[in-house]
Amino acid sequence: MSYVTIDQVTKGYNHQVVLENISLTLKKGEFATLLGQSGCGKSTLLRSIAGLEDVNEGSIFIDGKDITHLSPRNREVGMVFQSYALFPNMTVFENIAYGLKMKKAKDIKSRVTRMIELVDLIGKEQSYPHQLSGGQQQRVALSRALVMEPKVLLLDEPLSALDAKIRKNLQKELKRIQKELDITTIFVTHDQEEAMTMSDRIFVMNKGKIVQSGSPTEIYTSPVNTFVAKFIGNYNVLSIDVFRKLVQSTEIDGNEVAIRPEVLQLVAAGENHLDLQANWDIKGTIKDVSMTGNVLRYEVETEESAFLVDDLHHQGKMLEQGAQVHILVPKKECIMLAN
Amino acid sequence: MVNVRTMKPIPPLLANIEEREVLRKIKKQKLYLLALLLPFILFIIGFEIGPLVAMLKDSFYADDGIQVTIQQYLTIFKSKFYLQAIQNSLVISLFSAVTSVIIAVIAAYSFTKFSQKIQNRLLMIANMTSNFEGIPLSFSYIILLGNNGLFTLLFSKLGLDIFAGFNLYSWTGLILVYIYFQIPLAIMLIYPSYQGIKKQWKEASSLLNGTALSFWIHIGIPVLLPSIAGTFSILFANAMGAYATAYALVGSNYNLLSLQIASLVSSDVSLRPQLGSAMGVLLAATMIGAMWFNERMMRRIRRDLR
Repeated sequence: MSYVTIDQVTKGYNHQVVLENISLTLKKGEFATLLGQSGCGKSTLLRSIAGLEDVNEGSIFIDGKDITHLSPRNREVGMVFQSYALFPNMTVFENIAYGLKMKKAKDIKSRVTRMIELVDLIGKEQSYPHQLSGGQQQRVALSRALVMEPKVLLLDEPLSALDAKIRKNLQKELKRIQKELDITTIFVTHDQEEAMTMSDRIFVMNKGKIVQSGSPTEIYTSPVNTFVAKFIGNYNVLSIDVFRKLVQSTEIDGNEVAIRPEVLQLVAAGENHLDLQANWDIKGTIKDVSMTGNVLRYEVETEESAFLVDDLHHQGKMLEQGAQVHILVPKKECIMLAN
Repeated sequence: MVNVRTMKPIPPLLANIEEREVLRKIKKQKLYLLALLLPFILFIIGFEIGPLVAMLKDSFYADDGIQVTIQQYLTIFKSKFYLQAIQNSLVISLFSAVTSVIIAVIAAYSFTKFSQKIQNRLLMIANMTSNFEGIPLSFSYIILLGNNGLFTLLFSKLGLDIFAGFNLYSWTGLILVYIYFQIPLAIMLIYPSYQGIKKQWKEASSLLNGTALSFWIHIGIPVLLPSIAGTFSILFANAMGAYATAYALVGSNYNLLSLQIASLVSSDVSLRPQLGSAMGVLLAATMIGAMWFNERMMRRIRRDLR
């Protein structure tokens, strides 16, 4: 039974379509990510679920209730903004207690205290937002949303303003809290790595549409089109004609071929033990080598096209720029794209 | 006991020499900067601090200008007439400042709801009208709403009795004119602080069960408060010191502190500059008192600014 249902939602501003016929369903407790470049409509979709934007057509249901035209305060959703949006005149405690106070809830103090423990902010209750670091502010924003026990938690690029190390920590912690409370979460990001590590399900968006949805593994290993292939994993995407010429074979169908850079293997010219049963062999020259730490990234030029090849960084196994090489392309790793 | 004078200075290390060189350069630069500030400092001393000190000093002399005394202050505090002037000034200043701040808070907020183009025009009007005060303003009011004013006559000819009970040359009239010249200034001062209110605070509040009203009570107004309080101080001082507008409108018919000071230092009948100075000191003291009170209140309410 689906917990969140978005049914054919469409939205436009001044003759420009921002969301086009968006439909999706989520199970209770699922961690879903809307992934896409800026301007693809992912934040607008999130804000429509929150009620901060109206939709032109379609409906949104949470827990079986139609919330399409409810005001934000009646939707029982919590949201964390990219800029935290903490109230500057209130302490951490007051910020977290604000929603409960508005709701005239009971035992505010104990509920807020429990939240403060959950996000590990003990001792900071009486601090003001400007006295906290970015990461701490984000925790306050998170607990301010969670203390209301919302049915759905919406996160609008909550980690993108933080530096890499704090971000990694908060990713883990966010995931822990989400599991612990078993709260249905919709996360918006433009960072595919973040989406991969955190989500149960990813919805890749482009130009106001959902172009693919699935588990992180599905999205990464079987992209449905060129956009997803290029956006999600630096795929090498070649037109079918070029690829046929390179491998001198006509037994391949489709429009384009997508190959992940890490499945390709480079063998120096002159070595002869090539497995040509399972691989295609393409000859090329190394044009550039760059090192991203644990990964060596080669740019290999062939007759028809250039390939990106990723290899793990082993000591002393680096191939030189200008070297003649064979690129071994595993046949079963080639993904044929229809469009 | 060690005699400091006989102690030999410690020989400087090589690194210290370089350090000193740098310090000397910085000092030299600072001197140049100070030299550039000199005209400004002289101006402040000559036209701000100088007169203030002179006023303070004069206030402690008797009418003959020779004997040092606190008699002038005693005269003020013993005279019902002068106490009433102070009271009138305080009341009209408080009343006009509070009213103008309330109107300006609402007006400036409504400004922000227009497009940028219209906002700029509205600000231009506010800017222009905030400079419209003193004798020209009083004169305009006299032409329009005085006993033989345009609107007064027009409405009475039309048989509408709106201004029958209204007298421009009274407390009501004075208040009206004060509020008129305070509002545009208040708008100009409060308007920028609305830019500091983030849209996402409103959104966050609405997602946390807050209504528009609760947003303004708990977040909007407290965030605006320092600027409201600051504006109030300026308006209060502005009204306390206003002279020309009041003089042109009511002359000496109405007992105000600024009018009394003027009559003591530049009257045709009797000049008592020392008494005038004492009243000037009291005027300054009330303004400083108002600012201090403001500051204290704000610190109590906005604890995050400490």
